[in-house]
Amino acid sequence: MSTHILKRLLDRLRDGGSPVRTDGGTAAAGSETAGGDSDLGSALSSLRESDAVRSAPFWLPPFLLMGFFVYGAISWNIVISLTDFGGLTLPTYDPSTFDLEMYRRAFSDGQFWIATRNTFVLLISFTGLSLAGGLGLAILVDRGIRFENWFRTVYLLPFSLSFVVTAVFWRWMYNFDSGLINAFLRGIGLDFVASKWLTGSIDTGALGAIPLVPDTFYFKLFAVIFALLWQFSGYAMVVYLAGLRAIPNDQYEAARVDGASILRMYRRVILPQLRASTVSAAVVLMVFALKAFDFLYVLFGSNPGPTADILSTMMYRQAFSANEWAYGSAIAVVLFVVALTVVAPYLYGEYRRGEL
Amino acid sequence: MSVRDDLAERVGVDLEAVDPLRVALYATLVGLVAFYLSPLESGLMTALKTEAEFATSPPFVPPTVEGFTLEPFGVAIDTLSSAILNSIMLAVPATVLSALFGSFAAYGLTNFEWRGQLGVVALFIAGIFIPYQAVLIPLSRLWAIVDTQSLLAPVLDITVFSAQVPVLGTVELATHPHYASIINLIITHTAYGIPITTLLFRGYYKKLSTEMLEAARLDGAGAFTVYRRIVLPLSMPMFAVTLIYQFTQVWNDLLFALIIIPSGSGPAAVATIALNELTGGIIQTFNTQMAGAFVAALPTLLVYVLFGDKFAKGVAGGT
Amino acid sequence: MADLTLDHVSKFFDDGGSKVVAVDDASVTIEDGEFLVLVGPSGCGKSTTLRMIAGLETVSEGEIRLGDDRMDNRPPRDRDIAMVFQSYALYPHMTVRGNMRFGLEESTDMADADIDELVEETSSMLGIADLLDRKPGELSGGQQQRVALGRAIVRDPEVFLMDEPLSNLDAKLRSQMRTELQRLQEDLGVTTVYVTHDQTEAMTMGDRIAILNDGELQQVATPLEAYHRPANRFVAGFIGEPSMNFFEMDVQGDELVGDAFSYELSAKSANAVEGSERVTLGIRPEDVEVIDDAAADHAYETTVDVVEPMGNENAVYLELGGERRFVATVGGMRRVEAGESVVARIPEDAVHLFDATTGETLQNRSLESADLDAPEANL
Repeated sequence: MSTHILKRLLDRLRDGGSPVRTDGGTAAAGSETAGGDSDLGSALSSLRESDAVRSAPFWLPPFLLMGFFVYGAISWNIVISLTDFGGLTLPTYDPSTFDLEMYRRAFSDGQFWIATRNTFVLLISFTGLSLAGGLGLAILVDRGIRFENWFRTVYLLPFSLSFVVTAVFWRWMYNFDSGLINAFLRGIGLDFVASKWLTGSIDTGALGAIPLVPDTFYFKLFAVIFALLWQFSGYAMVVYLAGLRAIPNDQYEAARVDGASILRMYRRVILPQLRASTVSAAVVLMVFALKAFDFLYVLFGSNPGPTADILSTMMYRQAFSANEWAYGSAIAVVLFVVALTVVAPYLYGEYRRGEL
Repeated sequence: MSVRDDLAERVGVDLEAVDPLRVALYATLVGLVAFYLSPLESGLMTALKTEAEFATSPPFVPPTVEGFTLEPFGVAIDTLSSAILNSIMLAVPATVLSALFGSFAAYGLTNFEWRGQLGVVALFIAGIFIPYQAVLIPLSRLWAIVDTQSLLAPVLDITVFSAQVPVLGTVELATHPHYASIINLIITHTAYGIPITTLLFRGYYKKLSTEMLEAARLDGAGAFTVYRRIVLPLSMPMFAVTLIYQFTQVWNDLLFALIIIPSGSGPAAVATIALNELTGGIIQTFNTQMAGAFVAALPTLLVYVLFGDKFAKGVAGGT
Repeated sequence: MADLTLDHVSKFFDDGGSKVVAVDDASVTIEDGEFLVLVGPSGCGKSTTLRMIAGLETVSEGEIRLGDDRMDNRPPRDRDIAMVFQSYALYPHMTVRGNMRFGLEESTDMADADIDELVEETSSMLGIADLLDRKPGELSGGQQQRVALGRAIVRDPEVFLMDEPLSNLDAKLRSQMRTELQRLQEDLGVTTVYVTHDQTEAMTMGDRIAILNDGELQQVATPLEAYHRPANRFVAGFIGEPSMNFFEMDVQGDELVGDAFSYELSAKSANAVEGSERVTLGIRPEDVEVIDDAAADHAYETTVDVVEPMGNENAVYLELGGERRFVATVGGMRRVEAGESVVARIPEDAVHLFDATTGETLQNRSLESADLDAPEANL
């Protein structure tokens, strides 16, 4: 390495000068305070240099837009639920007239309790079944199979479809006369099981269709859940697969060396480590369950009937069909609280583990 | 190949050996493929059959020669084409905008250090999980109050938009006041998309090297320059993931469209609404319904088939 | 060009309400063109100090000046410094050329052609001219290291800051880069602050070294001075490999009494320890004489516990009084066997004495040559 190149290089630099560009506000503030000992100047400059200020132009505009639509709208909704807003009149936002009338009405409305019950049935069985199905799929796909990508793509495919499209397909699947489900059941000689799935009745031939008596079977609701399972188990699979892939190979090998059977290995070694995947998949699935409105709306319109009505369909019906705006808002608040009880502990847990 | 070997080793299975367990495994996998594809397969077969044919033949059986028809697809395309165009006009800007906003927000909330930051992050993330029912009535009120069309009139006459579109010829992109509601829908979807896009980008930005960003600062780059010259070019893979994920979300939405597009249907209807209208009739023309479902789902299906891995990444990252 | 001064600089962090002192009242002046190494164990505050100079951390108290210009309140871009990071921190999506151009594009108004020329010249100086169109991902660790260096050099800053820049290299490349970096700095004559936890790097590279512990500056001195005249017990133990042997002992008149042995002091040393009740006696391994004559002064019968042959020398671990082990280094050709009894002499002129409670040096070893300035590197 020859030093004279360097000397030349550096000399030229010094002569030609490489003036520090002073084009930004911060730069100006810097040179301003460089000479003197102005405390104010330095305070201003350090304020401008503080990360909170420097980062604000990036996160603040999205935050305001999102905050207005999410938190602003939720607050507005809560306010509306305290009014008597209904019909074609405009809401009056007079705090002196605010009351909990709409909540009282909800709590004494039988339909509200049915919808709440159905919401929880949907929430719990749909989430549980999707998790179980997704875990099963993930384990199968993780068994070192050929064409793994292809299988995975097929299983996740329904998740890319909209609720509307899924509902259209499944209305046809559940069709009594020529739907695939009944065709399949008849094909394997189980004619008597073939049902009018979406109306919750069994065709008994001579006696005509009779309703499946006990509502508690949630016949209709489980037809819905089964279709949703088709759509969402692939999602749970993807989350579980990511969890399985994060487990180091060593542990599989160690379990093998210890002579554990495959079943024991999964039960004792692998499953306990999928807790985080389970929690995050469960939260997202529950949120989807609360949003399952689209699906029910396409299948049944705004009134799915007592065995499949959930809070989101009831809220929509009250607000946008019956124009009971304030009542709809109150139901929406209840729905929001249900979601909050699911999400808040989850977010707090993430925060505690430093993963936020 | 190597992944497969790796996995094979991890579970201790010799892939080449014929093992009854292995046979059962593949049988199960194939059976599941049948389960996941059967609604689509029988839907497609039905869409290709005449009414007489689908009423008599099992749904999954391909149409006979005389029972074959493309007419349902013709009807579906005729009915849905303008709604699909609307959906594109909605989904593309809404997706790009929320991805950009999410990227900005994630940068501001990840690559800087300041007190109270996590509180803001929590508010962003909680936004992912709110049930939209909780904002529906305010949304309908808001867009009833805000007259987008009049507001935009001085800058943009949205009632006379038209464009030359290949294949379809001249398309009146906006010939009806209802098109203002597409703009309303874009803004709404952008806003509600920000939480998830922020989360996706944040996961990615957390992994960027702090030293590299500091080096750029010492090199004289301000926060904006660091974003434009370092962070943005490095986020391209994440943009792909986010755009793909968010596109399917916006495209698939029905609820906001029901609320924000005043009469529900009409010339401003998006694909999901139009499909629901098409299939909601009393007459059970299942072949047309199925064809409609395929036509309406086509863009997301295409995106999924072409970029399935990125979609899966968005799905797994969005938790 | 000017001196870089740290004037009573402190850094406090807020850790859940309690104040954590990362750097405590550090003052040092780094002369124009000087190579100062900041060394200390991990968590001692050396990186924080460097980052305060860079402007990546705010200064809680005190001032940092370049010449007479206060710079601790300026944003990093206005400080005219360049930094080389441990991870190199190269921009992965830019070519080597793009990486080297970036700083000039962002901080100067230089014309494109001038920037290009400067980048070309600097890269050929560093032997990376043929890599200019590659991306960092395609380069080896050593090449990336050079690019990181080139990125700093091309900006011709007033001060180079280097944060453990060699620690990601393998041992052989590291020692090669050590010399090269040193020579480069000397040629460029740019004031350099170099952070490392490796005392070998500190000893071989620095004009002066600043030893930090627990956020406090222990000593700023030439490497030899720090080695032979440590300011306190920490410096004595940190500098030198194997470490200095320490024995805690009670002062009893002219004698030091420890668990394993007693040590008679000359009048001069006795004078030095006056006022302390308990002292630490320190002796470097190479100053322990392994001899045959048990009758010599300050000689002790010991048993060889373990011998670690290094080739050029042997590290001999000695047992004294059954328990306490200390190390002596003897010539590589000398045969010493484990289990053997040997006589170890601790010559008084090589002994360091520290106050056992404060750790302050009471007396350093005596030296014939008082010239402990860094020898002119003859490269």
